[in-house]
Amino acid sequence: MEREPGVTALPKNLQFRVGLLLGLTLMVAIGFVVYVLYARGVFEARQRLTLVADNAEGVSIGMDLTFSGFPIGRVNRMALDEDGRARIDIDVPRKDARWLRTSSVFTIERGVVGSARIRAYTGNLQDPPLADGAVRPVLRGDASEEIPRMVATLRTVLENVEQMTAAGGSLQASLANLQAVTERLAGRQGALAAVLGGDEQAKKVTTAIDRANALLASLSAVSQRFDGVLGKTDQRVFGEGGVMDSAQRALAQANGILGDLRETLKKADQVLADAQQVGANAKAATTDLATLRAEVDASLRKVSGLIDEINRRWPFERSTEIKLP
Amino acid sequence: MTRRDATLGWIRVWGRAARLALAVAVAGFSPASYTPHTRTVALQQIYFTAWQVLIRFTLFAALLGLVVVQITVSVARDFDLAAYALELVLRVLVLEVIPLLTALFVALRSGAAINTEVALMQVSGELDGMRAEDMDPVEREFLPRVLATGISVTALTILGCGLVLVTAYLAMYGFSPWGFNEYSRTIARVFDPPALVGFALKCLAFSLAVAVIPVAAGTEATRQMRSAPVAVMGGMVRLFFALGLIEVLALAVKYV
Repeated sequence: MEREPGVTALPKNLQFRVGLLLGLTLMVAIGFVVYVLYARGVFEARQRLTLVADNAEGVSIGMDLTFSGFPIGRVNRMALDEDGRARIDIDVPRKDARWLRTSSVFTIERGVVGSARIRAYTGNLQDPPLADGAVRPVLRGDASEEIPRMVATLRTVLENVEQMTAAGGSLQASLANLQAVTERLAGRQGALAAVLGGDEQAKKVTTAIDRANALLASLSAVSQRFDGVLGKTDQRVFGEGGVMDSAQRALAQANGILGDLRETLKKADQVLADAQQVGANAKAATTDLATLRAEVDASLRKVSGLIDEINRRWPFERSTEIKLP
Repeated sequence: MTRRDATLGWIRVWGRAARLALAVAVAGFSPASYTPHTRTVALQQIYFTAWQVLIRFTLFAALLGLVVVQITVSVARDFDLAAYALELVLRVLVLEVIPLLTALFVALRSGAAINTEVALMQVSGELDGMRAEDMDPVEREFLPRVLATGISVTALTILGCGLVLVTAYLAMYGFSPWGFNEYSRTIARVFDPPALVGFALKCLAFSLAVAVIPVAAGTEATRQMRSAPVAVMGGMVRLFFALGLIEVLALAVKYV
């Protein structure tokens, strides 16, 4: 149908414009298809890696295999093998395959939100590279699989809490006891009553403490007196004019007396010798003998007195016991 | 009108559309149909349908892409799902929204015009005159319009989607070239062969519906002037339902 002029004006280069539009469209379409093919890795050399998993849940075709957070491969195919395990075929571009070594470990991790993630870990990049078509086991870590177990545990915990908090439960009883204790704490006897369980016991304890205080006071007096006694004893025994002093003096006297005695005995010896020598002259000797006898008598008296003195001054010989006042 | 009459009428109008589609297909496969007149009409139709709206339509698509990508990415970041944002945008915008919007746009603009034009041809007796002169109106008038509309819908869809792809990249990564690898991986994930084939089939179905249903509806008009608005209204409503049905079917096949 021919259009009426004035309604819509047709440009002169209509054919060119339409051709341009169609050409542009065709170019965009072909360019997009080529780009998609490029993006899907059709134009690059790839190698195949097969992961064997017990459970491929959450894994889907087109999913990335990541290494250090960077995608280096894509799941291409999934199937069950003869043993009922999942085989996940992954295409890895050759240029990214260098991150995979024979010692690489593969994991499937599944979070609560989002799909699973297949990750590769390579401990040592010096190990020999992974061969094309390698088949590796894959470890599985699944957060959502933990949830049922966690819920079960949580339920037990909640039941325990419920039992504890129920009326007549142990927690209630404990709280009641705690209340009684705090009431006692706030009472007249305070913490003692709380610890001992009643005012009576607390009173007994305070009484006992009072008694102990009194006892300590009297003990203190005793020890003071004892101190005095010890001081006196010290003075009596070791002080000036004390027992020890007297003993020392007595010993000195004894020494002197013994010296006198020795002199006397020497004289007696001499006298006896003289007596022997001048036995004949008995008459003459009789005078000397009387003198000698007097001297011996005096010495013996002195010795006797000394012994008496010692016995008197040396109290330990009579009794070793020291009587404290 | 009883329910039975309504059902019969429904079958009749859809049968008319199917018959016209078949007739156009037969004519399209016949080399004798491609006369200079057919070519001129087709070129004019493509010019009116696609070229005239190209700038506005692509700008609209780019703006839509920009806004949707920004919203999706920021929301996805809030939920720590940013890795899925681009994939989501591509799946929703490029595979679903842009083709449907393009088809609706062409249906509203050129579909309505063609529907009216054909209805007026019927009212004015032009089509009957052609038949009387032993000229096939299908070959002479309908084929170029159907072809041109189909091509226009396809072209606008492809250009719109292409622009949205570019806009999505720019909105996501800015002018940095370093997002290219990640972007390519997402493209590879979204546009796997089944998705591409489904996309192409859906575009074809949209083009066919937008091209055929208005023409078929136009032929329902009678010689009376008052029949033209009824024919246009019925045709546009049917076209709307047909587009919706195609979209729902495509989604059902892909995701259910």
